[in-house]
Amino acid sequence: MRYYVQRVALAVLLLLAVSMLTFGALNVLGDPLFNILGPVAGDVNNPDSIKMIEVAKREFSLDRPLPVRYAIWLSDFVRGDFGVTFSSTGQPPVSGVISERLPRTVTLVALAQMFAIFVSIPWALITASRAGRVADRISTLNAFFLVAMPNFALAVILKYFFSIRLGWMPLTFVADDPWRSRLFQMILPALTIGLPVAAVYQRLLRTDIITTLQQDFILLARTKGLSRTRILLVHALRPSLFSFITVVGLNTGALIGGSIVSETVFRIPGIGSTLVESVLRNDFPVVLAIVMIVASSFVVINLLVDFAYTLIDPRVRR
Amino acid sequence: MTTENNSAGDETTVARKKLGFGFWLCVTWLALMAFIALFTPLLPLKSPTSNFIDSAQGRPPYAPSWKHWFGTDKDARDVFARTLYGARISLTVGFSAITAGFLIGGTVGVLSGYFRGWIDRVSSFVFVVLLSFPSLVLAILLTSLIERSLLTVSLVLGLLSIAPVGRLARAATLQYADREFVLAARQIGAKDRRIIVKEILPNVAIPMSSLALLGMAVAVVAEGGLAFLGLSVEKGITWGGLIQLGSDASKTLEKAPWISFFPIMMLFLTVLSLNFAGDRLRTYFDVKEMTL
Repeated sequence: MRYYVQRVALAVLLLLAVSMLTFGALNVLGDPLFNILGPVAGDVNNPDSIKMIEVAKREFSLDRPLPVRYAIWLSDFVRGDFGVTFSSTGQPPVSGVISERLPRTVTLVALAQMFAIFVSIPWALITASRAGRVADRISTLNAFFLVAMPNFALAVILKYFFSIRLGWMPLTFVADDPWRSRLFQMILPALTIGLPVAAVYQRLLRTDIITTLQQDFILLARTKGLSRTRILLVHALRPSLFSFITVVGLNTGALIGGSIVSETVFRIPGIGSTLVESVLRNDFPVVLAIVMIVASSFVVINLLVDFAYTLIDPRVRR
Repeated sequence: MTTENNSAGDETTVARKKLGFGFWLCVTWLALMAFIALFTPLLPLKSPTSNFIDSAQGRPPYAPSWKHWFGTDKDARDVFARTLYGARISLTVGFSAITAGFLIGGTVGVLSGYFRGWIDRVSSFVFVVLLSFPSLVLAILLTSLIERSLLTVSLVLGLLSIAPVGRLARAATLQYADREFVLAARQIGAKDRRIIVKEILPNVAIPMSSLALLGMAVAVVAEGGLAFLGLSVEKGITWGGLIQLGSDASKTLEKAPWISFFPIMMLFLTVLSLNFAGDRLRTYFDVKEMTL
């Protein structure tokens, strides 16, 4: 029990540090007043501008010291109010933007993760059982190629061949389509993210299965006359999944990074592409909210992976 | 595939691990890229910014031909020249970033692994904080707030590599900090500084250096990603930017795929070489349990 409490406390501390860092960076390195008003913010001689500056400062609490602003933001944030977007009207609120776009990104990342897992497990089983033979070597080479292909390049290639040349897949995402066609439109973006990750998983799992296959209980299973498939699926796979689970958890960060690129290429209005747009528009409440959501989900997933670990292997708890 | 192996085999009768033909092929490609990156302005290339409008061919983009090996983009600029110029920023940023990451992260990691105590606790927490941002998100956040020059983009990507490099350096140092030769050195009165530099560093440096190539691959990809999103070095040609230019509208990609595909090919071969050579080196030095 003490272990769990410690881990949760550490995670909370971590997120506080992350939020302070992000909030501080955006406020100190960036210029929020300029981001709201544009060139007017620098025009301190014109009385009209001064009035606008005063109003904006009060409205966005910019006249308060930095720690106070952080405290205000934090107490709003934990209650689900992410503030207003930086524009003359402040509409739509950041929470609205996020709640509209987050589900798309979650779907995309989940699709990519599922794809990577379901491809890599059979791929690893097949290659591990034929380790060192031609099929295995070709697959290792292929995995190398996939890992070396940056996801923005892979996105362009997939888009060119499957959407433009072959015309099998739709070119863009249409937010108003029924959910079935939206899911179909997400296949190529999910492949973009999932393919290189599948190669990473396969390389790891293959090594672990090979190690497992050399153990005595596999030999016993073979002398009992069990079939190869049965040994692989029933006896070898489960004990080999240990580090696989950790890496699947840790890779969520890479998947989110991938979704930023993939959403941009395939024009999916999720939080990844919104992050890029808001960064280029200097809309810092949106940036802050997205960074915090991404970091929180990353930290929480890793926490869950650690907890799952203690269920599989209780020694970790000590 | 066996040309390399004969010359090395004579001296040692024990079968040694070989780096292999593929490794040297990758090194050759990397050397070629480094040469191009260093000497682009001196090479007999077409100007990367001129517009080679050819009224006989109609409106650009023009397909690859003898005159333009990789074709031209829609402003009739030579893709071949631009791709080679792109090597400059991409490789410089990748190299400087990983160098900065190794210098800072390596120092912090070795110190915290050696002294433990509060240095270790503070640096470990900082590493965990840095690692709790997905790296592309942190890179986007930071590059959006600064003036994007060659130096600052390198520094941002260097900052990203501090945490992973530092963790590895710390882990490697921990392996050696309590070994007999370190205790012996301390017994004869060696100072901490001497022990770190003379006893620990040589042991940590070898496995770490074999990871430098893998780290550089990560940095080159990260720079490409930033450039693709429009957040890398502002003035200048980068591979990521070239790929973006050829793919921003599906019409461009459909009519002139070469604008994107040649830079993709160069980037892919470079990253592949870095990964492959790095992986071979890692096996060669037998570095286990260490991944970036």
